[in-house]
Amino acid sequence: MSISVSSQDQIANQDQFLSQLIDQCQGKAKGDSTFDAWLQKRQQEAAGWVLESRMPHHKDEEWRFTDLSPLVEHHYQKRQVSEISSDSLQSFHFGEAESAKLVFVNGHYSPSLSNVKDLPAGVTIGNLANLDAQQQSKVTDYLTQQEGGEELFTALNTAGFDDTAVVWIPSNTEVETPIHLLFLSVGDDTPTLIQPRALVIAQTSSKVTIIEQYAGLSAATPYFNNPVTEMWVAANAEVNHIRLQQEELNSFQIAKTAVTQAQDSRYYSYPISLGARLSRHDFDVFQTGTQTATRLYGLTLGNGEQLSDTHSAIAFRHPHSKADQLQKNILTDRARAVFNGKIFVPQAAQLTDAAQLNRNLLLSEKAHVDTKPELNITADNVQCSHGATVSQLEAEELFYLQSRGLNRQSAANLLIDGFAAEIIKEVPVVSVQKQLFRRLANRFIS
Amino acid sequence: MTATEALINQPYKYGFVTDIEAETLPRGLNEDIIRMISAKKNEPDFMLDFRLKAYHQWLKMKEPNWAHVGYRPIDFNNIIYYSEPKQQQEKKESLDEVDPALLETFEKLGIPLSEQKRLGNVAVDAIFDSVSVATTFKEKLAEHGVIFCSISEALQEYPELVKKYMGSVVPTGDNFFAALNSAVFSDGSFVYVPKGVECPMELSTYFRMNTDEAGQFERTLIVAEEGASVSYLEGCTAPMYDSNQLHAAVVELVALDDANIKYSTVQNWFAGDKEGKGGIYNFVTKRGLCKGNNSKISWTQVETGSAVTWKYPSCVLAGDNSVGEFYSIALTNNYQQADTGTKMIHIGKNTKSTIISKGISAGESKNSYRGLVKMGPKADGARNYSQCDSMLIGDRAEGNTFPYIQVDNNETKVEHEASTAKIGEEQLFYFLQRGISEEDAVSMIVSGFCKEVFNQLPMEFASEADKLLGLKLENSVG
Repeated sequence: MSISVSSQDQIANQDQFLSQLIDQCQGKAKGDSTFDAWLQKRQQEAAGWVLESRMPHHKDEEWRFTDLSPLVEHHYQKRQVSEISSDSLQSFHFGEAESAKLVFVNGHYSPSLSNVKDLPAGVTIGNLANLDAQQQSKVTDYLTQQEGGEELFTALNTAGFDDTAVVWIPSNTEVETPIHLLFLSVGDDTPTLIQPRALVIAQTSSKVTIIEQYAGLSAATPYFNNPVTEMWVAANAEVNHIRLQQEELNSFQIAKTAVTQAQDSRYYSYPISLGARLSRHDFDVFQTGTQTATRLYGLTLGNGEQLSDTHSAIAFRHPHSKADQLQKNILTDRARAVFNGKIFVPQAAQLTDAAQLNRNLLLSEKAHVDTKPELNITADNVQCSHGATVSQLEAEELFYLQSRGLNRQSAANLLIDGFAAEIIKEVPVVSVQKQLFRRLANRFIS
Repeated sequence: MTATEALINQPYKYGFVTDIEAETLPRGLNEDIIRMISAKKNEPDFMLDFRLKAYHQWLKMKEPNWAHVGYRPIDFNNIIYYSEPKQQQEKKESLDEVDPALLETFEKLGIPLSEQKRLGNVAVDAIFDSVSVATTFKEKLAEHGVIFCSISEALQEYPELVKKYMGSVVPTGDNFFAALNSAVFSDGSFVYVPKGVECPMELSTYFRMNTDEAGQFERTLIVAEEGASVSYLEGCTAPMYDSNQLHAAVVELVALDDANIKYSTVQNWFAGDKEGKGGIYNFVTKRGLCKGNNSKISWTQVETGSAVTWKYPSCVLAGDNSVGEFYSIALTNNYQQADTGTKMIHIGKNTKSTIISKGISAGESKNSYRGLVKMGPKADGARNYSQCDSMLIGDRAEGNTFPYIQVDNNETKVEHEASTAKIGEEQLFYFLQRGISEEDAVSMIVSGFCKEVFNQLPMEFASEADKLLGLKLENSVG
């Protein structure tokens, strides 16, 4: 295949892009404790992986439908942000999670905006830098230890994250208050690189609900947010995970969520993608024991020129487990959505029961969707299914509602609301539900 | 070994070699070989240009590696690109002059060519290695104006038609194997159904690969003019060799306004032995163009052979209200690998497509469905329904689905469903309880699983295909 001059230039630009980003990452862990030494080693290793990589492009199967050239156009730099006032956080407030809120601004912990109190004994909710030595040494078994750490953007985060939100739930403990992790991205007049990190460890038979929220606060120029979240769900533990992506509409997010589930554990997740000009979410669930239950209920809303890409992978390795995935996308204007859902069922994972469904609602002529559900199955005694549908509002359904006296607009609104409700109603925190319905109404319902 | 697993090992009964003197060109590929093939066939100049253009495109291309299959690299310079039975240098006027060894070969394969034995209402073009041996019922078809002959004959007698349509659906540089085929294709069938004619009988081509280490590169072109309709079937077998043989075919279909083409394949190339040794590499490009309004192209395939299959019969639905269909059964056993599916490209308004795919994988085989449904920006009112089901027999077989759906238009509707299951112990128990043997039970369950596809095959072949699957899953209940 011959490479034209312009695409050679492009490749050179993209390689330069990576080396510029990695320059921003050098030498973050500076202390001299055992933990710092360990972290430095991990970060250097990751920086090496980044330098060995090249930027993905549309010829790479995993990036076939998501063009990163708008991201590469800018030159991103890290920068500290002075304290922001708590007034600007009004809209990122969930009543249920008031007493367990950690706030990070551009990846740095903000003690003045955070509020953590009245926790059950043994529960740790805090930032990595402020953990004591004993807690830090426990974390080394988990931090940066998920599979897939050598992937380009994950490695970039590992090489350069400044701090980490750490949630540690000890065995046999149930935390009733949802824990709110708020990652604010504050832009500047030059493009900013932000690399937040979160680590959630739910030990044996514990139970917790996490609200992980990414939100942008005014960005004159685009920023690039590259977050990584690692979750460890131990035997018989249950984690409910709400993920809200509300980046600024001129900005970029490339995110990784990696979850490891031990035997008998339950992991229920609700990834909601609302913001960003271009967002990509790689969502990997690995199984290390039998009888796990996994649920991924995702919703993407796209307006304008937004592109939202969800790549999920559920890797079964043991028998008797269940997975239930429903990804819904609502798109209008010229918005695009990409969905790729992989389910791996190797020979060892007999008696797996997996269902995956992707449904897309296109409300405008120019909205576009690329979907690719993928089953990869070697075990014969399993029940696996997947499905995908793409359509506009059903004429028959509209007619039915109109025949009952609703005008066309209200009928359409009701149907859009109903389409999204299947996901939103499942979200386990009521004030999040309410906020999502409000946002849906603002964006699609006239 | 469970009884179900034991059911699936049945020797390949078409694996014999016909001992016939063959004239082969030297191994390897270069411009001279291509000129020699073209000269041997006394082709018009445009054909040689077509081949050379394709060859130069091919030289610049890379072998695709995205399919979910693995095989030893092919040495393209160690393949015999042309082989013909010596007696058959010129096509015989009457069957009496054809080498009896050849006729016997086809008879053994269940395709009698002689006057008294041939199938009553099926015209057959029999292709042995690189050349067409005989075509039956030519005169009767000619009465209706239908042209059915080998591509080589068509190039002599109807060069204008071939020139007009060849490469119009699958361009020479379409993909690596299509480019290779365009450069070196040896023979294949040509069908032309004129305006308003409904072809009076089933047309069929039977491909037989005989020479070891020769590749078969057939090229089929079917054109249905306005309002015409035709049903076509191909079948294929090959002897058992330890080495792998390459089969890289290109099939092009063109349907003009209101035309209807039905293309069925029963593919039973040698699949390699139990250890996965030998077998055919079946890398095929098949594409139909619904050029006219209200046209229809329907693909039906029963894929049971080949060591490695890489095949995606597709429909380009350009005409308004055109219809594309794809019905497929892919059965893999032992170490066979199949990556097959379809592409439905909706361009015109109110175009419709249906995809029904059934994959059965047994032994250590890999069976993947890979498909694309694309709704273009002008395809208002287009509709697709896809269903792909996999059945796994044994816990070392692999079944995958990779459906791609790309939608650029909100006035369309796409539905895709897939499922994977096995022959349940309960199902078998139910049969046994009613006095039906395990063997019969399995074949009934498989037959039922595939029924939607069998129903699409022309009658004569539906029973053949059912038997074929039965054979593959027959005997030796443990």
